[in-house]
Amino acid sequence: MSETLARLNEVFQDVFEDEELSVQAETSAKDIDDWDSLMHVNLILAVESAFDVRFTSTEVAGLKDAGELLALIEKKQA
Amino acid sequence: MLPAPGIISPGLPGTPISTMDTPLLDRLFAYVESAHGRSLRGLNEAREQEPRRFAQVAELYLQWLVEARGESGIDAATDAFAQFSTDVNMAQARYERDGAYANKSFEEVYKDHYSDAEAMDGYLWGIYLTNFLWAHHFQIMMFFQDRFMSRLEKDAHLIEIAPGHGGWGAWALAHLPGASLEGYDISPQSIQIANAVAKAAGVDGRAKYVEKDALDLEKVQAESANACICSFLVEHLENPQHLYKVIHHLLKPGGTAFITGALTAAQVDHIYEYRYESELVMMCEKAGLRVLETLSANPMRTLPKAKFMPRSMALLVQKRRNEIY
Repeated sequence: MSETLARLNEVFQDVFEDEELSVQAETSAKDIDDWDSLMHVNLILAVESAFDVRFTSTEVAGLKDAGELLALIEKKQA
Repeated sequence: MLPAPGIISPGLPGTPISTMDTPLLDRLFAYVESAHGRSLRGLNEAREQEPRRFAQVAELYLQWLVEARGESGIDAATDAFAQFSTDVNMAQARYERDGAYANKSFEEVYKDHYSDAEAMDGYLWGIYLTNFLWAHHFQIMMFFQDRFMSRLEKDAHLIEIAPGHGGWGAWALAHLPGASLEGYDISPQSIQIANAVAKAAGVDGRAKYVEKDALDLEKVQAESANACICSFLVEHLENPQHLYKVIHHLLKPGGTAFITGALTAAQVDHIYEYRYESELVMMCEKAGLRVLETLSANPMRTLPKAKFMPRSMALLVQKRRNEIY
């Protein structure tokens, strides 16, 4: 697991209040019951804070899974 | 072939919901499930409030959408709806953090949003779907039909201020066979879409949409409307009090208006921050409008630990005949 994915996993665990959560690149809303449109925004703000990046709503609206979110974080950090 | 105006095809009263024919709504839900799974929970909340009426409203709105935009219209508008909902949720989250709306002036909003024709197209079709896909907006839609439209004469003349997508006016005309409507909007995309929706609903012969700043309407057409529709405009203005005066100016004495506004609900183009329902009531009363009925509705879920509850408020008002009523 990359360092960024490991940190992202911690953010997911914190936002969804589930220490057992193990996020992979292909993890999507189908795998996490509470990952609805509202919690998605909560997750995005937590990611912004954790990685010191900022997203536009256009960038985050269509994210299909954790892998796409990870790629977006890495793009912002590059 | 679309049904004749005013006829809602999917299901008659008493028809079990399971036997109602709602192919377009079914298609929308299937598309949301495949492409926007995170939005499914909210859609189910909207539908579960009143499944039969939801199906009737949704199927007719979607028929108009397909007629106006073609077969791909549902997917494209659903994408726009998902984007718009994300925009709103992101704006609300930043509002929670900052304690104030991001925009302070209409000029700023116009430059960043309203002047972008392509973005406006998606914005308007996205909002079109919120009329029934957002649970609390579906409640407002039912208030519009049950409390406002039920009071209107079949041949009423309506003026709609800032019709946006035109869905409200088309809905009214489709259910009032002899009614007519003039709509005024500052956005050329709005005029285009409102005309397309009116045509799709078969009411274009009774609807006329004109590109014009709503606030300029005070200079013309005094007391020419039996009723006014002004949906979700007040929070987009720097000084909304003036708009209530415009509505008073346009209405015949005793005429009614359906006005909606957003409270502590951020959006990329919201400027005026209403915090209490009484603020809208007071602005109506100050402008000479008697408040007959109100509905304040809110989403079923909010951001965790939210300080602000985003609300949408509908007011049914009447132009006063004298100082008191």
